[in-house]
Amino acid sequence: MADPTTSEFVTLVSCDGFEFIIPRSAACISGTIRRMLDPASKFSEALSGRCVLENLTGIVLEKVCEYFMYNEKHKDQANVPDMEIPAELCLELLMAADYLDT
Amino acid sequence: MKSIDVVEIETGQTREMRFTQEPHSPLKMASRRQASNIRGPRSALTDFLASNNISAAQIRDDYDRRVADAARQAANEEEDADVDMEEPEYEPTPEPDSPDDKAKKRKRQQAIEKIKKSKEFARRKARRVGEPDDDDDALANEMADERERPVPGQLENCEVCGKRFTVTPYSKAGPNGGLLCAECSKKHVDGDNKKAPPKKRTPGIRRRQNQADLLDGLVSQGAQSLLETCIKKVAENISDVEEFGDLPPPVMHRLSQILARRRAITSTTLDLFLRPQNKEIDIYDCAKLGTDDYHKILATMPNLTRLNLRFVTPMKDRIFQYMMDRDMNIQDLHLDSPNLVTDEVWRELFTRLGPRLRSLKLWNLDSAFDDETAEVMAKNCTNLQRLKLKHLNKIGDKALEAISTMKTLEHLSLYISQETTPEPLLQIITELGSNLRSLSLEEFYFADDRLLELIREKCRRLTKLRLAINAEFTDKALANLFHEWPNPPLTFADFHRVRDVDMANPGGPPEPVGLASNSFIALMEHSGARLQSLNVASCRHISHAAYETVFGEHKRYPELKFLDISFNGVVDDYLAQCIFRCCPALTRIVVFGCFKIRDVKVPRGVAVIGTVGAKLTIDGITQKELV
Repeated sequence: MADPTTSEFVTLVSCDGFEFIIPRSAACISGTIRRMLDPASKFSEALSGRCVLENLTGIVLEKVCEYFMYNEKHKDQANVPDMEIPAELCLELLMAADYLDT
Repeated sequence: MKSIDVVEIETGQTREMRFTQEPHSPLKMASRRQASNIRGPRSALTDFLASNNISAAQIRDDYDRRVADAARQAANEEEDADVDMEEPEYEPTPEPDSPDDKAKKRKRQQAIEKIKKSKEFARRKARRVGEPDDDDDALANEMADERERPVPGQLENCEVCGKRFTVTPYSKAGPNGGLLCAECSKKHVDGDNKKAPPKKRTPGIRRRQNQADLLDGLVSQGAQSLLETCIKKVAENISDVEEFGDLPPPVMHRLSQILARRRAITSTTLDLFLRPQNKEIDIYDCAKLGTDDYHKILATMPNLTRLNLRFVTPMKDRIFQYMMDRDMNIQDLHLDSPNLVTDEVWRELFTRLGPRLRSLKLWNLDSAFDDETAEVMAKNCTNLQRLKLKHLNKIGDKALEAISTMKTLEHLSLYISQETTPEPLLQIITELGSNLRSLSLEEFYFADDRLLELIREKCRRLTKLRLAINAEFTDKALANLFHEWPNPPLTFADFHRVRDVDMANPGGPPEPVGLASNSFIALMEHSGARLQSLNVASCRHISHAAYETVFGEHKRYPELKFLDISFNGVVDDYLAQCIFRCCPALTRIVVFGCFKIRDVKVPRGVAVIGTVGAKLTIDGITQKELV
C-alpha cells in the first residue's frame, strides 16, 4: 500500500462509523480537513490519511462528500449552479460547512 | 399508429359529450323541480334540505350518474386496445347532438394541422430536443387533447381512480390524456419526476442572472462554497425553520443580510435572531417590523451593546425611553431613518447614554435631529470614536461646529443635505485631523482648496479618504495634497464627481478643476502600493496620457480590488488591458459610460460592470452583449 501521507485518496469517517474514501484534492477544499491532513502538522490524521469527524453524522458527511466532488468537478467552470440540498438537511449541513471551513 | 389515433379520438369524443351534458343538467333539474307537484310522504330531512334548496332526488341522480360514469370509464380502459369506430354500447344516454365520426375526425385533423403551425408547438418542440423527430404527431395530439379538456371549474372524473373532482388550472393529464384528481396527479408526478430527464438549459436563460450576479460583484468561478450554498438554502426555507440552534454569529449575520435583501424579515423570522446571551444584533431591513418588535428585541436581549437596525420607520420615542429606563449598555447605535423619534428624546438619550457610545451611525433623518440635538450629542458623547451622519436634513453649519469639538473621533463620515460654508469643515480638520483614520465628506459643494491644504498639514493617520461631489477643488491643490504627503498610503480613495461642471464649456477650464491628470498621477504614486479601492467615477478631465502613465508597463498595484472609472470617456480597449495588467488582484471594475471599451480580454475572476455592446472575452470565450 502506498504511503498514507501522500496517497491519492483519503478516508473520512463519520461519528456513526460510515467511511467515505475520496480523492485528497477534493477533500482539501475544506480548510479544516486540509490542515488535518497537512503532512507538516504531524497530526495522526495526516500520518494515517484517515479523518474521523466526530461531530458529523453519516448522512451529513455523505452530502459533504457529494459537495467535495461537485466542487472538484466544476472548479474550472463559470456560472456553476448551486448544488441541490434537501431542505431538512440544510441547517445541519450549514453547521458542518462552518466547522469544515468550506 | 392508426389504432392509437382512433383511441385518442374516441376518448376525446366521450369527454366532449360529457362536457356538453354538463351545462344542461341544471336546466333539467330546474324543470324537474317545477314539475314535481305531486309528492308522496316526505321525511323531515328532505323538507329541511328542500328549504335550503337542496333536492334529495338531485343528489341521488348525481350519485347514480357518477357511478355509471366510473363504471363506464373502467370498462373503457379495459377495452382501450380494441375500441372500434362505433359508439360504445354502454353509453347510458346517447347524445342527440353528437356529430358523426368522420366529421369529427376531420375537424380534429384540422385542429392538429393548425396546432402544428402554431408558435406554442414550435416552442414545445424546441424544448423536447433529444427525442426522436417522429413524435411531432404525438406532440400535436397531446396539445389537441389539452385544448379539448374541460375548463377549470368544471367537474370531471379522474382518469385513474374514477373519482369525481373539480378541474383546476393545475389539474394534471393522465397517461391516456384524461385529467387526474389531486391525489392521483400527486402520485403521477412523483412517478414522472423519477423518469424525467434533467431539463436542458438553453444558453440564453442564465444571461440575465449572470448580469445580476455581475452587478453584485459575484464572478462565479467554480461552485460556490458549501457554507454560502447552505445559507442561501436556509434563507429560502426560512418559514420552516423553528430555531437556528447555536449557529455562529458570522453565519447569523450573513443570514440576516440575505433575508433582509429578500425582504423576508418579519416578526416571526425576527424571533430566530433574538438570543438573550448575544450582545449584537444586525437587522438590515426592519420595514415589516412594528414598534412592539423593537420592544421585543430590547427586552429579550438585555446585554445588547450593538444595535444595528435599518429602515426602522415605526421606531418611536418609547423604544428610546425603554433603552434609557433599562439603562442599557449600548455602545454602537446604528439606525436608519428613525423619523418618529422626537428631538427631545434624542437629546435625553445623548444626555443619559451618550458617554457610553463608541459609534453612532444615522441615516435618512428629515423630521428630527436638528443643530441643537447635534450640539447635545457633541457635548455628551465623550467617548465617541466613529460618527456617520448621512442624509440628515436639519443639520447645518452649527452641527459641524459642534462636531469639531468631539476630540475622540477617529472615523468621521458626513453627507448632510443642507448647504454649508467651508469654514466649519476647516475647523473640524484643524481640531480632529491629527486623530482621524477615516474621513468621508460628500457633497460639500463649497469646500475648497484650503480644506485640502489643511488635510495635508494635519492628517497623518488616514487610511480611508473620500472627498466626493465637489466642483471647487483644483487639480493643482489635489496634486499638492498627495505629493510627498507624510500620511501613509491610503487603502481606500474615493473622489467620484470631483470635477468642473459647465455645460457651456465641456472641456473644463484651462486650469483644471477637480481630480484631473496631475492629481490622479500624484494620488497613485502616493497610495498605489496599498490601495484596495479606488473610485474616480465622473472625473472626466483625467487624460489618456495620465492613464497611460498611471497604468504604465512597469507599474503594479498589487492590492487594488475595486476600481470605478465610470464616465471616464478616455478609457479605451488599450487602457483597459493596461489596467488588467497592472492590477493583479482586481475583482471588480465599473465602466459605465466608457464607450470606447469595445473588445477586451477579461482576466479570470474580474467582474466588468457597465459595458454596452462590448465584446468581452473571458477565458477565451467571447461574450457578445446585446444592446
